[in-house]
Amino acid sequence: MKQILLIGNPNCGKTTLFNRITGLNQKTSNLPGTTVEAYKGKINIQGEDYQIIDLPGIYSLFSNTEYEQVVNTHLLGHSAGKPNLVVFVLDASNLRRNLLLYSQVAELGIPSAGILTMTDTANRRNITTNIPHISKELGIPINGVNPRKDKNITSVLDIIKEAKTPKQISTNPGFKERLELSLSGKKVKGSSEETLRRYADIDSVIKRLNDGNGIRSHFNTAKIDRYVTHPVWGLGIFLLIMLALFQGVFSLADPPMGWIEHGFAFVKDQIPDGGYLGSFIRNGVISGLEGVIVFIPQIFILFFLIGMLEDSGYMVRASFLSDRLMRKLGLNGRSIIPLVGGFACAIPSIMATRSIRNKKERLATMLVVPLMSCSARIPVYVLLISLVIPTGTFWGPLPAQTTLMTAAYFSGIFVAIIFSLIYKFLGRTYEVSEFVLELPTYQAPRFQTVLQSAWLKCRSFIKEAGSIILIISMILWGLSNFGPSEDMNRIEAESIALSTGIDDPREQQEAKERYANALTLEYSYAGQMGKYIEPAIEPLGYDWKTGIALISSFAAREVFVGTMSTLFQTNEENVVGIRAKMQTQINPKTGEPLYGIAYAISLILFYAFALQCVSTMAVLKKETGTWKYSINLFMLYGFIAYVSAYIAYQLLT
Amino acid sequence: MHEITDLKSGDLQDRLAEMGCVPGTLIKKLYAAPGGDPIAYQVDHYILGLRRLEADYIEVKVAEEISL
Repeated sequence: MKQILLIGNPNCGKTTLFNRITGLNQKTSNLPGTTVEAYKGKINIQGEDYQIIDLPGIYSLFSNTEYEQVVNTHLLGHSAGKPNLVVFVLDASNLRRNLLLYSQVAELGIPSAGILTMTDTANRRNITTNIPHISKELGIPINGVNPRKDKNITSVLDIIKEAKTPKQISTNPGFKERLELSLSGKKVKGSSEETLRRYADIDSVIKRLNDGNGIRSHFNTAKIDRYVTHPVWGLGIFLLIMLALFQGVFSLADPPMGWIEHGFAFVKDQIPDGGYLGSFIRNGVISGLEGVIVFIPQIFILFFLIGMLEDSGYMVRASFLSDRLMRKLGLNGRSIIPLVGGFACAIPSIMATRSIRNKKERLATMLVVPLMSCSARIPVYVLLISLVIPTGTFWGPLPAQTTLMTAAYFSGIFVAIIFSLIYKFLGRTYEVSEFVLELPTYQAPRFQTVLQSAWLKCRSFIKEAGSIILIISMILWGLSNFGPSEDMNRIEAESIALSTGIDDPREQQEAKERYANALTLEYSYAGQMGKYIEPAIEPLGYDWKTGIALISSFAAREVFVGTMSTLFQTNEENVVGIRAKMQTQINPKTGEPLYGIAYAISLILFYAFALQCVSTMAVLKKETGTWKYSINLFMLYGFIAYVSAYIAYQLLT
Repeated sequence: MHEITDLKSGDLQDRLAEMGCVPGTLIKKLYAAPGGDPIAYQVDHYILGLRRLEADYIEVKVAEEISL
């Protein structure tokens, strides 16, 4: 099967074109040695099958980030043999800058065709776009298309049948050697001189295409930007958008999460009671699956909304707006996108830091992303807050529950700020910190593209976290159902003895099981672990039951809720049931309620800071190439979680 | 409206050159982020956000506004 490489600048409409041509018929593949994904799809052009690869959008083959490396690897045939064909996606409104990459790739002599996009924008800015002229200058067939609007787009690549070797609009001796050198990660000498020479050659092409090189003084995007980047309006708009984002996620994700919970409850009911197999399938496998799937609505909706903002061009403005502040924290304006994404799920957000060119800034961003309160913390926060604060309570003018929830989010942000400052002063780098960011023309976001990118992010969550959550869930099932045999035998005897007084055989069976379940957990290996760590967590206000829940949270933080429900012998995993049980518990030492406000706040802080997510640690390892950061972060954030929970508990009691 | 006359050599020379900030290119300051940094410029036909330090690499001369 022939291979087509799709090449172009960022924001040229390349990925939109790719998505529309291939639909959902695409796969991602990681290249060896890199973490950048290239998207592959299959298309049929006039009866012949082609594999089409969407490479990352870049400006030049020479800047040494993983994106350029991936493009070079494909072009030079180091990954999967020499490419057969290249399709250039050229932005008509920015033809001059787009031709730089063209002129570089043209020197490799691969048969090519071109797709010219953004001709409407170009016309609005008085840039003439004469496709036959451009085609003649570049020596390749060119089709004009608007990937966002045009309805009939599938036949646009038919042009590949007439692909020709492109005309070298600029010839630079030693170019291929420099390219090979740059692929090996070395700083290439003479590349800026080469770029200047290329632009001189490009300018003569542009001159022949369009005499007036003037630039119009106003365009709509710049007019919008005056408000969006305004010191007062701009910040106001940013805060409003963020508020709408979170409100939207909470209200939109609630119904589908309810459906998923009901669906799983129904499935669990179908499995016959009794026996280890049924219990294993119900509480080990299905609960594990539920733990993965229940987050998809929130993650999907948040990434969908962020995707809408990205596709419209707004997120780049948010980067522009926040760069000064971010730089003071040792981060970069580009960090804002992964940081906002961190509120959904740290896994795709850590991957999204790849656009930050400076390694130190990228690492610092990856290290603080897990401090953003992700969606797995929400059920824990909700349970704890509703446990100690009745609905409708007000602290002065503030609704108490919402205030505490907001405070939980902000405590994570606060610690993230402190740690980014620490990383700023600890880390060393000889790399220059840079912003240099194109602010693309505002565009109505394309629904299909955004849906697809949100789905791909969910898929990375399922791929990275899914198997880990499932495996840990199964291990936990084992740990909480088995224990030292003398304890287990004693429980069996006791539960039979205790339930003998009940007349109704069904009730008797249920009472026996309930009793056995709770005691089994208490004396199981997990329970013994909870009791073993109890002295360590007692100063934080936690009992051994909380200890078990803390340990089981390593699968995913929300497992806390399910574990507590098992411990308190409630059959339903709903907040109301567990809450009622928890509220009646009395601390034997003080006579006060065991799970009071000090307990709740201490535990919220613990969950806000601790890196209790094996999947995040695994992704961090993947992206940095070493376990060092995952392990250090686990201990460091664990320590901060412990200390702040300790201080909070001691101050409040 | 200004025209770029020179691009200083240094760490960011390559990066600015590939973004089209080369001698002969027209450039115009558009607006700044809160605090005056970074600043958005119109370079050729697109908008480029640059930090002050990055813009210092670019030397310019006054150019006539060409209206079409």
